[in-house]
Amino acid sequence: MSTDSAAGPRSTNEGWQPGDPTPREFVEQAIRVDHAGEVGAVRIYEGQLAALRWRGKGNSPVARRIEHMLAQETAHKQVFDELIAERRVRPTALSPIWSVAGFALGAATALLGDAAAMACTVAVEETIDEHYAAQRDRLGDDEAVLRGTVERFRQDEVAHRDEALASGAEKAPAYDLVTAAIRGGSRLAIWLSTRV
Amino acid sequence: MEDKSAAGDSLRDRVLDAMLFNVAFDGWGPAGVRAAVRDGAITAEEAALAFPGGALEMIEYHSRRADRRMVEELERRGIGSLKIRDRITLAIRVRLEQNTAHREAVRRALSILALPTNAPLAARLLYRTVDAIWYAAGDRSADFSFYTKRATLAGVYSSTVLYWLNDRSEGLSATWAFLDRRISDVMQFEKLKSRVRSFGERWRTRPAR
Repeated sequence: MSTDSAAGPRSTNEGWQPGDPTPREFVEQAIRVDHAGEVGAVRIYEGQLAALRWRGKGNSPVARRIEHMLAQETAHKQVFDELIAERRVRPTALSPIWSVAGFALGAATALLGDAAAMACTVAVEETIDEHYAAQRDRLGDDEAVLRGTVERFRQDEVAHRDEALASGAEKAPAYDLVTAAIRGGSRLAIWLSTRV
Repeated sequence: MEDKSAAGDSLRDRVLDAMLFNVAFDGWGPAGVRAAVRDGAITAEEAALAFPGGALEMIEYHSRRADRRMVEELERRGIGSLKIRDRITLAIRVRLEQNTAHREAVRRALSILALPTNAPLAARLLYRTVDAIWYAAGDRSADFSFYTKRATLAGVYSSTVLYWLNDRSEGLSATWAFLDRRISDVMQFEKLKSRVRSFGERWRTRPAR
């Protein structure tokens, strides 16, 4: 391992100090929290679609857009399902909570209107983008495959955010308040799923 | 997990095997170490080097080694070709059979682990064992069933261990019958669960879409 970090291969969680998670623990935590996040994302979009159907808009362009996002999140979740089994990582014990909370969040925002549903997507995907970016920067060359997966998924999440912005998310009532609340909630969920 | 060097593990294996020879009489503590040293199998320095934490560390290593050996043996026997129920049964059987020669050592270890101050270690060791069994059985669950599976198995496994400790039947046949009954109990509950679920499905009038 070279000391000048700019050159040479970089290792996972480089520069860790006693008390920090070891590289193995870091990878475990990363897979656990990412899996939890994708479970939550799937449930949010499922909740939004359910609410759109209640409003009789199950076939609207908005619904079709959300269906596409849901398909991508489901694919992400399946990748992390595999990683949990392969790498022998303990999944989060809070998944029942994320399942209910995600569905409720999705349904509630979609009931408030199409713009609110899109605002929810912006807030969630923005937080996940930050989270994935931080993780990508800490994963080293010894975890190049996982790093590539994280980066690929991050780009999908950014695309969702841009799509939601383009569909008029900012026209939602109390946009700043709603997105700030959802962002705070997502950060709390990330913090908890890393540990429990 | 795999941070300890192989050289360290081979020393630990040697010290632990020397200890197991006497644990039934002298326990896991300093008296047991002295007895092993008197036998000439190890030196007191080696024991201190291998397990600076003393009895608790020896017990932890013993349990982890038993888990590892169980997984290796199960892979050798081709556990993947069995039904899930038989995989779990075989895993517990192998785990206990491999330790039948050291039942008294296990009994002494369990009485130390039963102390309230050692409860966290006891829970960790039990978790590791049931996790190893599910891993060997090829479990790939990533949702909450991960926890329910381990909790159910922890109940089956720990009650079977207690039965096994006092089993004097030929070839431990009473323990295997006990284990079969415990697993049947679990399967009955699973059957009930799926019946409740299919009953609920019937009342769901609205199509999924």
